[in-house]
Amino acid sequence: MQDGHYQKRLRNMYNYISDNLYLNRPDIEIKGEKFNSALLLGLLSAINRGKELIIGEPGLGKTTSAEYVGSIVYRYPLGVIWGSEVPGHPEQTEEKIIGRPHLGELSKGNEKVVWSNFAQIPVKVVDEINRLPETKQSMILNGVDRGNWEYLNETLINDEYSLFATCNYQDRGTNTIIPPLIDRFDILVESRHPGPNIAFTIGMEAKRDHPLRHPEYEKRLHEILRGDEAYEEKMLLAEEISDLFGEYMKENLGLEGLTKQERRESSSQIEKIGFDLEANSFTRMMLAELSFCHKFGQKRSLEQCEEGCHYTGYLCHHVKNCASNRLPISIRNYAQTLAWFLEDEEVDLEHVRLITPYTLAHRIQWKDSYLSKKEGEGRNDPLQIYMAREATEEVFKRYSEQREYLTEAFSVAYRAFDQDEIAPLDGDHPIYEAIKRDIGAKDEKPV
Amino acid sequence: MKNPFEAFHNIGVRRREIPLDTILKSKEETLARILRGYEDLLRNEAKDLVWLMQYSTVIKAYGMAEKRIEELEYTAEDIEEFCYALDRSDQIPYLITGPAGVYISALCNYAPEEEITLNLRDVNVKINLLGYRLPPNKKLVVNGNLGDFSGIGLDGGELIVEGSCKNYTGAGMKRGLLTVRHNLGFNTGHGMTGGEIHVGGRIKGLGKIVGGKIFEGDQLIFPNEGVKPYYF
Amino acid sequence: MEVKKTIENIWPKVRKKHLFPQIPVPEVVEGEEAVALEIKSKQLRISKAFCEKLTHTMKNEDIVEAILDHGISHYMYCPWDFHTYLTLYNEAKKVVKKKDLAQRATSSFVDVVSDTYCVRDKETKIPELYKNIRTTGLNEVLTSLYERIWGFDMGRGRGDERISRLSRIPYLERKRWRESVKKFTTIIQDILEEDLEDEQQENQRGQNPMGEHSLSDYSLEEIDQGLREFAGSVQDLQQFKETLEDLKEELEEQGYASGGMGRGTGNPIDADLLYYMKIAESYTLPIRSLPIEKTGDLYPYSHAPWEVGKPVSHIDVWTSFGKIMPGISQLWKRKEGETYGELEGTPDCLIVIDSSGSMVNPRERLSHAVLGAACACNAYLKNGARVAVYNFSDAFRDNKVIMDFNYEKERAYRSICKYFGGGTALDLDDILYLLVRADNPDIFIITDMQITNLETLIGFFNQIQNRVTAVHLGHNVHSSRFKEGTNKRSNISVFNVKNKVDIPKIVLGQINEYLLSSPTRH
Repeated sequence: MQDGHYQKRLRNMYNYISDNLYLNRPDIEIKGEKFNSALLLGLLSAINRGKELIIGEPGLGKTTSAEYVGSIVYRYPLGVIWGSEVPGHPEQTEEKIIGRPHLGELSKGNEKVVWSNFAQIPVKVVDEINRLPETKQSMILNGVDRGNWEYLNETLINDEYSLFATCNYQDRGTNTIIPPLIDRFDILVESRHPGPNIAFTIGMEAKRDHPLRHPEYEKRLHEILRGDEAYEEKMLLAEEISDLFGEYMKENLGLEGLTKQERRESSSQIEKIGFDLEANSFTRMMLAELSFCHKFGQKRSLEQCEEGCHYTGYLCHHVKNCASNRLPISIRNYAQTLAWFLEDEEVDLEHVRLITPYTLAHRIQWKDSYLSKKEGEGRNDPLQIYMAREATEEVFKRYSEQREYLTEAFSVAYRAFDQDEIAPLDGDHPIYEAIKRDIGAKDEKPV
Repeated sequence: MKNPFEAFHNIGVRRREIPLDTILKSKEETLARILRGYEDLLRNEAKDLVWLMQYSTVIKAYGMAEKRIEELEYTAEDIEEFCYALDRSDQIPYLITGPAGVYISALCNYAPEEEITLNLRDVNVKINLLGYRLPPNKKLVVNGNLGDFSGIGLDGGELIVEGSCKNYTGAGMKRGLLTVRHNLGFNTGHGMTGGEIHVGGRIKGLGKIVGGKIFEGDQLIFPNEGVKPYYF
Repeated sequence: MEVKKTIENIWPKVRKKHLFPQIPVPEVVEGEEAVALEIKSKQLRISKAFCEKLTHTMKNEDIVEAILDHGISHYMYCPWDFHTYLTLYNEAKKVVKKKDLAQRATSSFVDVVSDTYCVRDKETKIPELYKNIRTTGLNEVLTSLYERIWGFDMGRGRGDERISRLSRIPYLERKRWRESVKKFTTIIQDILEEDLEDEQQENQRGQNPMGEHSLSDYSLEEIDQGLREFAGSVQDLQQFKETLEDLKEELEEQGYASGGMGRGTGNPIDADLLYYMKIAESYTLPIRSLPIEKTGDLYPYSHAPWEVGKPVSHIDVWTSFGKIMPGISQLWKRKEGETYGELEGTPDCLIVIDSSGSMVNPRERLSHAVLGAACACNAYLKNGARVAVYNFSDAFRDNKVIMDFNYEKERAYRSICKYFGGGTALDLDDILYLLVRADNPDIFIITDMQITNLETLIGFFNQIQNRVTAVHLGHNVHSSRFKEGTNKRSNISVFNVKNKVDIPKIVLGQINEYLLSSPTRH
């Protein structure tokens, strides 16, 4: 397939959704182009098999944006997506989310699992995930993380999937999302109000017949998903219907989704995109500030930072918890996908600076003292994303002051790691201490 | 184990050097040498960090200072840098203003320039004994205030202080010109045998003056009717 | 010359060079021949006339790229933010004492730093640009300096002793910028004065070919943030005041007022108020979050194996596959649901502050008592409560300010910052008057306790039910008497502060306790 071809299709999808389905205002800019963050990142999540948490006020298109993206990229008619959604409410059960025993077989004494549509299809939407009680949230951890679903003694493994979960702001009747689950989400985005003028247009143009619905294909897909075939066979059959739906979209809407093979090829192209040195160094610097503790070795939620610590000027002093290893994975995946989407040859600092706040927003627990300073500041984003953005810019400022020296420090570390007799470079930032630990050098700063 | 810094293995030092870097490097090196000289002086002269202000100790300290700066190459700006360094405790862990002043005086006396200007307005410490044995053909202008014994033993040079001095200004002055724009403390001109002191402001008190002249504004206040030369 | 097209062609390359600054694409304006660039709220505007003038000596792309390098490095390196600009200005002013001269010195210093940074760390045509610009006065000196420190021949010659001194300043050491700008200003002071004189005689302002620096380079948010950081970093109130007085006109032109941004030009800036406002912003309490509480309803929570003896009615038919059998059937375990409750409103707060002669005048030096009162004011207003202020000295001689309960921060600050410096007596009628105008407000009193009618005050506090926090400075017979007189009342907390700097933390700590103990309702 010709270079840039898939990207063009994705842009086409973006434009179509933006113009017809999810009317919005652009709120981010990269390489001179403006995008709406919820829509762009939704598309990137769909293409790179990511997990996205969408927050926003009720009725601002959180669920619908995810449904449209999933429907177009994976070529599933909207009705199938609707039928597979898991609504978050306290009375959800494992049987409704994952699967149930085949009652006919059970009465014969055989254990056979009827998998839910949610577990089977590659587009997974959990609506209002924070209304699920914590026990139910724990139940879906493995499925959310790896696409592994277990029921009775059977396992279903999704070979590709994207997960979109929506979440209102805190109100009556909601719970918090448990930390292990929230850490498994790659990004957090807000679905915003599009402004009064666009909102009025939405009201004027609301249609009865949804262009992404196709009752006949929906019926056939539901039959396949209900069928007795093995999961792999079902997916092959479903792909045939998806091909038909794809043709329908192309003829009637001018939209080309991506086949499974094409999605695989895109992933393969994405994985080949490397990080330039600036992006590499900056990301390491960011991770250092979010995981480092001079006194205790690493950040831990139950260990308190002291006021007199030398590193009070860094992010490690303002956060309670340690960044998990999923954070760099999320940054890498999404930065690569973004660079691929923009047809850039490698990931550069601009990609990383754009993506990082969204990967960070839901993962950081800020200290109250830092939170209280920031919460009153004027902003355009919800507080979580704003604070993550500010943190990213703060680290960027430090990075731009010492990038030459830092790159040199990494270069020296490379040689030192390979047992060259060379002393690591010293510096004030936690990254220098981290480098020393990696190469086994002693850090002489007093605790 | 895989080297986590693999991506940086081709990186050399990329920074370009411009003349500014060379100038600053040379400045730092010169300052370091001057500082070492000062530390040597202190080690020999100020045992237990105590230094008594006496005729003999000043002469001895000056002799040591001359030896320390014999092979140094420096300019007037380096002397000013040293004065600022005196103010920063991270560079000079302990400051004793007596030997410091003698050392600076030696630096000024042996500097290549005939006219030296030291901008010391932002230096908090008041340097004592500055201008010691300032020779003929040397002009030292200080923008700022000085401490005690400024211009002590002035030996033909010209010392201008665009500020005030404290006590014993011009003590033991032999010849030359000492001009102070603002005020002086007590014992001004104590032991002075020649030369002139001009003060723009007020003098709190005169010392035991042997010779020379002292002007307060336009008025000659030594020698005059009320103040006669002193004979030791 | 098609400047706009040139910008479009080279902008991506320049952005990448400078690590992708978050600024909009530069614009082209007709402009003047003498000035290359104008920066307003991050928008770079390049003068077409300037570029056209140089086309016969330099390539178009080189001219535009050099100008962009200069403009972007101001944003990305020096001064980077408004706080840095203020700090440099403040230091320069200590040398030259005059606003105009300090602004020019700061502007020139910032130019030297940014351009030197570009020359050393980036590929840039800035030296060539300076070579081809005609300069006089200070700009001529700076060009000679560039020749010396960059090592490019710009046809200016070796330069004099002044250049020699200027070349020894460590421009690229950020940590030493404060002392560097002072040295820089000292050395160029005479030229600055000469240039200013010449301009006054010719009645024409000289122009920096690379554009002037001023407040218009920054947005209101950046100015607000910069002032906050500057207030925290200066050594005393007077420095802040002086700097702010100098920049008052420009701030008001930008639309910045004491109460914050966008309050209109009707409120003139009060430097003292702004100082305390900005410092108090560093001491904050988080807004109270909604408490979790039980709903009282039971919800199905999880499954557990059914055992004989347990109620059959609790069996979940679905998960039991329709069977009632030990080992197969499952029952629902129900749990009381949790949800978010609502907050009881935070009580209003009456701040009683002593501004008698024994207390520090807040308009001359930093008064921690006023700062503590300001923190209390912020904390209550932030949580949606009203604040009243009773500022007293000798109240019976009318040395007092009575501000009724309201939500206006600036008004409260004005009342708190008022200083009388007279005797110390408070009129309880005034306090009573205020107390009845709110529903059981909290009382914060900050004083050194040297109050002439202290006994009356003790008696009064012993009668009221309001929560009272008394913060007193130092230890004396009056404070002991106060403590002794009120120790039986559980609603009164007395803090003796040894170190004044602890006052804001004590005040906030107490408020935090009050807020946490405030009841909630469903």
